[in-house]
Amino acid sequence: MKISSVLIQSSLGGAGLLLALCGCANAARSQATDNQAALMGKASIVFSGTVSQLAATSFADVPKSAQTIVVRVDAILKKPPAVSLKKGDSVTVEAKDASAFQEGAQATFYTEGWIFGSGVAVKELGHVLGEAAPAAVAGVSAPGQGQDHLTDQELKDRMNASDFIVVGRVTDVRKWKAPKTKSGSPLRVTEHDPDWHEAVVEIQSVLKGGQVKGNKVVVRFPNHDDVAWARSPKFTKNERGIFCLSHDTATGAPMTKLGSKDVNVYTCLGHGDALPLSEEAHVRALLKNH
Amino acid sequence: MNAVATRLRFPGFAVFAALFALLLSPLLAPSLKRAAGFLLARGQAPAPPSIKVVDLVPASLSGESNQDSEPFLAIQKDNPQVMVASAFTPNPFSLTGNAPVYVSQDGGASWALNAITPVERMTCDITHAMATGESHPRGDLHAGMLDCSSGVTLDESESNDVASTATMNVQSTRGNVDQPFVRALGVSSGDRIYVGVNDFNQTSGRTATIDVSVDGGATYKSIPIERRKTAGQDGPSVRPAVGNDGTVYAAFFGWRKFDGQTATSDVVVVRDDAAATGANPFQALTDPSDKQPGRVVVKNASIPWSNAPTLGQERIGSTLSIAVDPNNSSIVYVAWADKGSRGDIYTLHVRNSTDRGVTWSKVDLPGTTIHNATNVALAIASNGVVGFLYQQLNGGRWVTHLVQSHDAFTSAQDRVLATVPADQPAEQFLPYLGDYDYLLSLGNEFRGVFCANNKPDFADFPQGVTFQRAADFRAKTLNDGAGNPVPISIDPFYFSVPVIP
Repeated sequence: MKISSVLIQSSLGGAGLLLALCGCANAARSQATDNQAALMGKASIVFSGTVSQLAATSFADVPKSAQTIVVRVDAILKKPPAVSLKKGDSVTVEAKDASAFQEGAQATFYTEGWIFGSGVAVKELGHVLGEAAPAAVAGVSAPGQGQDHLTDQELKDRMNASDFIVVGRVTDVRKWKAPKTKSGSPLRVTEHDPDWHEAVVEIQSVLKGGQVKGNKVVVRFPNHDDVAWARSPKFTKNERGIFCLSHDTATGAPMTKLGSKDVNVYTCLGHGDALPLSEEAHVRALLKNH
Repeated sequence: MNAVATRLRFPGFAVFAALFALLLSPLLAPSLKRAAGFLLARGQAPAPPSIKVVDLVPASLSGESNQDSEPFLAIQKDNPQVMVASAFTPNPFSLTGNAPVYVSQDGGASWALNAITPVERMTCDITHAMATGESHPRGDLHAGMLDCSSGVTLDESESNDVASTATMNVQSTRGNVDQPFVRALGVSSGDRIYVGVNDFNQTSGRTATIDVSVDGGATYKSIPIERRKTAGQDGPSVRPAVGNDGTVYAAFFGWRKFDGQTATSDVVVVRDDAAATGANPFQALTDPSDKQPGRVVVKNASIPWSNAPTLGQERIGSTLSIAVDPNNSSIVYVAWADKGSRGDIYTLHVRNSTDRGVTWSKVDLPGTTIHNATNVALAIASNGVVGFLYQQLNGGRWVTHLVQSHDAFTSAQDRVLATVPADQPAEQFLPYLGDYDYLLSLGNEFRGVFCANNKPDFADFPQGVTFQRAADFRAKTLNDGAGNPVPISIDPFYFSVPVIP
């Protein structure tokens, strides 16, 4: 159900009464709120504004079409800190259905970025007609802060892709060298050399995945600050955190020694795969609602 | 949005004259206007193109502070208002969205970020070229890029319209390769694309390879160009250069020994006279010493390999460039860096050949031995003038030079495009400025890209500079467009410099 249609109907007296009589009004509002929350989580740029032009664009680099509308920003509800956008700016929105808008219409736009030039162009993920509800207003990060902050959706995606999610402590970090093959390991020198290291993580609790034998896992991670690996978590001894782990398919050697035992190796390569302990409640909530 | 700040350069007398004219303007306006009209109509030649330096970061991303290093540039030669530039610039709104490129549709005056590459968030190596064979006015962009979102994978991909929102079409992909470097030539039968790669899939450690497509990228053929025994692999840089007549050269570092810190390397040049379409491509040049394909320009150069901050905050180990005269494919230049003399970390050299790579200058061309420098890029203009772009660490500053010469550097014009503090900002990752920058020629212009500290300070940009992003040149600070301070970072800069006569 489109959020816009829900709110339009609920704001109309007759339709609202009808919904109430059906005993559905609360459910409809609840669903709308849920959808708004979901959109807020999914969207990277959210703002309220007033439609100023139809079938138009706000700057030259954007291809004009029947689906592009220009919206004057009334309030910013969410945006990445890198994006320069403020009240009074004109934004090009590629609408899902431009016929839903008239000049002068006010709405809250849930969008993702599109083209960034002298102005901002975005693609609509959803909208809610009418002035922005104060409750929907979220914090806007200051420049230089939280540039790499994951949205809930991105964090969910990371967690879904993981085999294990554990809370643990790093008890040891050591350099790891790939074993030589029988034919002799070929030389492979590149600027993107990961400089693999292994971290031994003592598990305190498992948030996703089964129990781990011995209560310790080995996590292989790139220690080099080359551009290819710059965002991969780097482990340090005694570090505590929440770690999203996947079976090692990156190094070509998915087993290693832990003490005298051969054990599976895991990797933790993506940005957001290592989270601070303070995120535990948030992670648990996302896993619960999954 | 107060994002644009340009340097106005007037001689002192002009300022006094302007003030004087302003005072008298009510009285003199009509006659001045007539005089001006006369002067313009009668004798004033069109103004020669001036030097242009532009920070690529657009106004709407004024809040960004990424290390946007390792720049590259492609020009649509049939429609040179259209250009594509790239750097290690992440998708500004999504960690999982497409990595972006910068697109200009007005000859470099303004740039917009368009997230059209098939790689998630940010490429880790991208080069590209625009070919004109298929008559797409805003295409065809052919790119070679590494996707490092999970492992390292090469994508060779294409866009017919860089201003559209369509994700580039991946035409070929494989793992185990490094540092793709793309050149392209448009011909009526389709675009010819040449991608230099260090291909670890090649047998016997002969990794220097050119991926060739003569059908606009529909199919690629990987052609090994190393014929000699290596130390297990060749160096990362494999650089093709394409003449208008279909002559294709490529230069690479033939690694003969490697001890982890130094590569003992030959600088090798190969040539193909038929656009690499024949049965035995890149074998037209042989070395007299062993009769093998590949002319050894320099033997056993000692090249330092340091994958850590070494030259300022930059790593070193594989800077190489080759350029062919577009109108006379017998003339070819090559440049590289090696260990140099005592006390010198990394030294650039330029040599040339005037007989299709058969013989080479025995020593560096005059004035082209450049100490403590990297990121060399060569290009040759249609009048034969050679452009030599490099970045030198000098007195604690990264100084970006564009040197031009019409006589193989017997005489030369040197323009400093930027001179910025080398210790600021702190490195976020490597490479700090890039493992390369880039230079192209177009008519009477050299166009190129380099990366530098983006502090808005006219003293750092001797030829002037335009910032699209919000900047206060008086306070020498950046802001996010709403007045909030933004830290200094590394930005890519586009430049256009007139070719000397």
